[in-house]
Amino acid sequence: MWKLRMRKRVTNIRNAIGIWGLYAALAVPIVAQEPGTGTPEPTLPPAAPLSALQQRGAEIYRDQCADCHGAHGEGAEGAYEDPLIGDESIGQLAARIDKTMPEGSPEDCRGEDARAVAEYIYEAFYSEAAQIRNRPPRVMLTHLTTAQLRQSLADLYSLGATLPRETGNRGLSARYYNGDRRKEEELKLERVDPTIDFDWQRNSPVEGVDADSFSIEWNGGLMVPRSGRYEIIVRSTCSFLFYLGASDREFINNHVQSGNKTEFRRSIYLIDGRVYPLRIEFRQRKRKTEIPPARIQLAWVPPQGVEQTIPAEYLVPERPTDTLAIQTPLPPDDRSYGYERGIGVSREWEEATTAAAIEFAEVAIEELWPEYRRRHRGRDQPRAALRGFLQQLLEAAMRRPLTDELQERYIDKQLAAEPDDGEAIKRCLLAGLKSPYFLYPDVDLDQPKSARVANRLALILLDSLPADGRIRAAAQKNKLLTDDEVRQVASAYLDDHRLRSKTRGMLRGWLNLEHIADIRKDEELFPGFDQALVADLRMSLEQLLDEVVWQPESDYRQFFTLNQGITTRRIAEYYGEDWRPAGPWRRGYWTEPTVPSPKHLGLLTHPYLLSGLAYHDSTSPIHRGVFLIRYMLGRTIRPPADAFAPLSPDLHPDLTTRERVELQTSPEFCQSCHEKINALGFTLENYDAVGRFRELERGKPIDPRGRYVTRDGREIELQGAADVARFLAESDDAVYAFVKRAFQHFVKQPPAAFGADTMDRLVQHFRDSGYNIQELIVEIAVEATRPIRTAAEQIAFQGDPG
Amino acid sequence: MNRRQRVLEAQSRREFMKRLGIGAAAANLLWGLPSLARAAAAGRRKQRVVFVFSPNGVIPQHFWPDKTGTEFDLKRILQPLADLKSQVITLHGICNRIKGDGDGHMRGIGCLLTGIELFPGDIQGGSDTPAGWSMGISVDQHLKNQLQADPATRTRFGSLEFGVMVPDRADTWTRWSYAGPNQPVAPIDDPYKMFDKLYGQTKNREILASVLDDVTADFERVRDLLSQEDRQLLEHHVELVRGIEKELQSELEHKQRGEGQPAQSTESHLVPELPPNIEEENDNMPLLTRMQMDLLVNSFMADFARIATFQITNSVGQPRMRWLGIDEGHHTLSHEPDSNEDAYEKLIQINTWYCEQVAYLAKRLAETPEPGGEGSMLDNTTIIWTNELGKGNSHTRDNIPFVLVGGGLGFKTGVAHDFGKVPHNRLLMTICQAMGHPTESFGNPDYCTDGPLTGLA
Repeated sequence: MWKLRMRKRVTNIRNAIGIWGLYAALAVPIVAQEPGTGTPEPTLPPAAPLSALQQRGAEIYRDQCADCHGAHGEGAEGAYEDPLIGDESIGQLAARIDKTMPEGSPEDCRGEDARAVAEYIYEAFYSEAAQIRNRPPRVMLTHLTTAQLRQSLADLYSLGATLPRETGNRGLSARYYNGDRRKEEELKLERVDPTIDFDWQRNSPVEGVDADSFSIEWNGGLMVPRSGRYEIIVRSTCSFLFYLGASDREFINNHVQSGNKTEFRRSIYLIDGRVYPLRIEFRQRKRKTEIPPARIQLAWVPPQGVEQTIPAEYLVPERPTDTLAIQTPLPPDDRSYGYERGIGVSREWEEATTAAAIEFAEVAIEELWPEYRRRHRGRDQPRAALRGFLQQLLEAAMRRPLTDELQERYIDKQLAAEPDDGEAIKRCLLAGLKSPYFLYPDVDLDQPKSARVANRLALILLDSLPADGRIRAAAQKNKLLTDDEVRQVASAYLDDHRLRSKTRGMLRGWLNLEHIADIRKDEELFPGFDQALVADLRMSLEQLLDEVVWQPESDYRQFFTLNQGITTRRIAEYYGEDWRPAGPWRRGYWTEPTVPSPKHLGLLTHPYLLSGLAYHDSTSPIHRGVFLIRYMLGRTIRPPADAFAPLSPDLHPDLTTRERVELQTSPEFCQSCHEKINALGFTLENYDAVGRFRELERGKPIDPRGRYVTRDGREIELQGAADVARFLAESDDAVYAFVKRAFQHFVKQPPAAFGADTMDRLVQHFRDSGYNIQELIVEIAVEATRPIRTAAEQIAFQGDPG
Repeated sequence: MNRRQRVLEAQSRREFMKRLGIGAAAANLLWGLPSLARAAAAGRRKQRVVFVFSPNGVIPQHFWPDKTGTEFDLKRILQPLADLKSQVITLHGICNRIKGDGDGHMRGIGCLLTGIELFPGDIQGGSDTPAGWSMGISVDQHLKNQLQADPATRTRFGSLEFGVMVPDRADTWTRWSYAGPNQPVAPIDDPYKMFDKLYGQTKNREILASVLDDVTADFERVRDLLSQEDRQLLEHHVELVRGIEKELQSELEHKQRGEGQPAQSTESHLVPELPPNIEEENDNMPLLTRMQMDLLVNSFMADFARIATFQITNSVGQPRMRWLGIDEGHHTLSHEPDSNEDAYEKLIQINTWYCEQVAYLAKRLAETPEPGGEGSMLDNTTIIWTNELGKGNSHTRDNIPFVLVGGGLGFKTGVAHDFGKVPHNRLLMTICQAMGHPTESFGNPDYCTDGPLTGLA
């Protein structure tokens, strides 16, 4: 079959080589190359003098390879156009060349010759080191990502306020009053309710409170597991007022209990990394007629989730600072480098940033300005107060003190054009939030070093502005110049919700979770595996990740070695024994840690991942293999040349999944990648399509043997999931991939742009710290601010006085 | 063809279709000419209704004309309408008969435009049983839905809900417009908010056009600091901004020249100016009322809506009309017995002030030519000024004040009626009918059996 295909394609040399060429065998990342890791400049020579063997390889390359691959591996038009770059070892390269190159006559380059060519191209342009040397990556100008825009506006809203920290407390503060007026002298009970889900019928809710006339105030904060649109649902048979986001920002008004209207729904976009003030005033009003039974439930439908009572995990009893989540939809960021970064501008983005600026301005007019005026009452002339108000907002937004010139352009000129305060605020904020100073944080080149470090730190750690007290204070005291100073300030943010949110985003990207969005299983084969269970599994995995990062040891290895999971009632019921909770179920909480079990290998054997990386009716060693090799080990795997449908299990009733996959990927051109993919994917075959442990498949014992060839060419034998877990926990390749992913996510630039040895230093530090993830985040901040801290003095705009 | 004939003709056309048993859409299909109905509609005049609310009843002796018919007299409270007497209709004998839950004030406002009972609820008034929201849609929202369903009468908003000094509290006493059972519609009582609703988008684009130039100047300044490669991103961005700036400028110039609009309506598309920084405070009530009325006239000129409600304060409203030298709250005064001469006099003055507001609105409409049509805007608009109670100190809902000004409904104007004692549901039905959407009943059908009122057209 494939011979026929080859003959057909031979007329198209590019396609034919595309299938059979060296490049296909070597595999490239599916994402765009970062500058410096991309096409080598054809004129650049290798840095070190070549060894005799490499010299010989260079000559063979010139004679036999350069016509198709270009003089420096850059590719040749009309022949093989993609550059020769990748992450295989010299040994693997040599074997490949020996077997397949030159295309059509591999016998021309065998044994020692193939080895010489491999040595040469590896050193000259193929390896990652060579790529960096040939074209050093640089820090690219980027604009705010959508997450950064949302967080920045939220911080601008709460400028000067102290943001809530993670306290570990959960639930909502509740105050129970006799009578419906919430009079202090009638306060009968204060406690923390883990959640709001009560049905008192016509009884008194607590002792000392009349059944026919009482009121309850719940107070605290709401957190979200991920940014997105939430539908909030209140079911109440009595009067209530619901405030969300700010003390007086009404969310649902059911002041009047009327007829049988008892269900209230409203959607809102909420961003992770914030705690939203939440207050519900509930009243059973005394009346001349019979009171209705008193019930209230606070529920939600999270993005990609199912309806549930908002669990205690997302409620905090302390009242947080007022905050703002911008509702304007923003287009997704560029991900062509494998992580979100602001390197594209489009009309859609431009208009969305305008809409977001207007939305912010309208809230500022409605909420911030009256509050500012109240605090400055009598002290200033009205317009002087307005000027002061705008100045502090714009200085924070534009990340710089306003020079006279900026003051004139962004404030005075706009105020002069508009007599109405509200419209004037809109003008100034629109100008400021559309300015390059807000949208492009990197254009602060004319600012003092510590200010620039503060700007970077806020972006790296919080995706935001340095509106926060500590970063700002350190910058003002010029205390952000040494490694230790940065380390100290960065460490102080480890319990900040924004940093935790950003870390969650990093882990989601590391596990490629956004691409496992829709998990559905064959209802006959897996009865009971429904969307509610999927939502629970997702939560279970996300909490496991959080747990590993934020426990004191913060040990990366636990991602693969932790012998406990996080379970829910649904998970325990479906997965049984190993997913029993270690203790009793607590009221109002969604999740509990499981009993310890050797079947738990951290995230590696998590049913969310394993069922996401499987078909609806069977496992998929290929998906699991690609996941391990690409995401966990950071290796490059090229997408298949064509789309293939998997062989149906029904057509091969006698074969195990392993046998079927081996059959389908047996052609040699498949094997170039699949020998690596399958060998890893098979190791997880003990876990079925929903991630349950199994010993047998179709009556045959599972064969979970596999292997992996490391970046430096070592072959590792793996006997099933436990071996893989042990390997991932300490392997150079996996650690390197994790550190690099973290750097890219936090900094949004390639690590090599901060020095060729940045990655080596970070990996070394990571190992020395006992694989401490929290410390890694801090060190990333240290590394990524070093160029600014050690650079020559700041520069000034041309024509700027002084 | 005069106005009345046109209305009659429109009604008979609908009647004809109704007798055939087909709706307008089906009729279009039947005739195979979708544009026909629209063409017919284009020849039809616009009809608008504004419902104006003022609270706490009136002083009947100084409100109702002594004589009915065309030779009626305007009493003290209605004197501000003297210049417009030929456009005025007074409707005595209309009673809000709705029983059930809720005190007199609650049913006074909550059943006024809905004609149906309140749900049982937990809002306990001074007497009677507690109640919640209305069980049905109000006539303004019903008409809005009818007009919006027909492309010939559809407008940007359909209806606008204005308020003046409505307390920031959603309860039975502060709502009179309902989109359906248990669905009160909150009036917008902040003129700047109403302005945003009406003109916000346009205004935002004006602001954007004017600040973009300053912003691009800064893009060019920072560009000079950057490397060649980084400049590309900024340059691409600036290009986009410049493009948008140009589009905005041509859009705004276009708008200023009034292109693409019928010649007469150019003015109606201009964004009105509001006095800056007016706080929502008791003493600003006259100015706030004026601002809201101006916005209402403007929005009608632009044909943003053909239905409006205009709710001045709320049921049990307590404005202190210090600008009239009255320091007491209106509701408190309204409970005083008639024998309290001071209160009695003040209540007359208060109600006269409300009438002045109605007269201001009527005059503005009368002075404004109908955009793209004949006569004045008042010729095509009926203001229906009404109240929650007939009289404050008795809380009666008999003889609810209904004073109509203008020709929107096509009724014979310059006349005082007395209907004896009829349920107000029949008036609500009459309004629907006059707006071209007759209905078998409105609100509680028990009060509708006698059909729409007769003798108005």
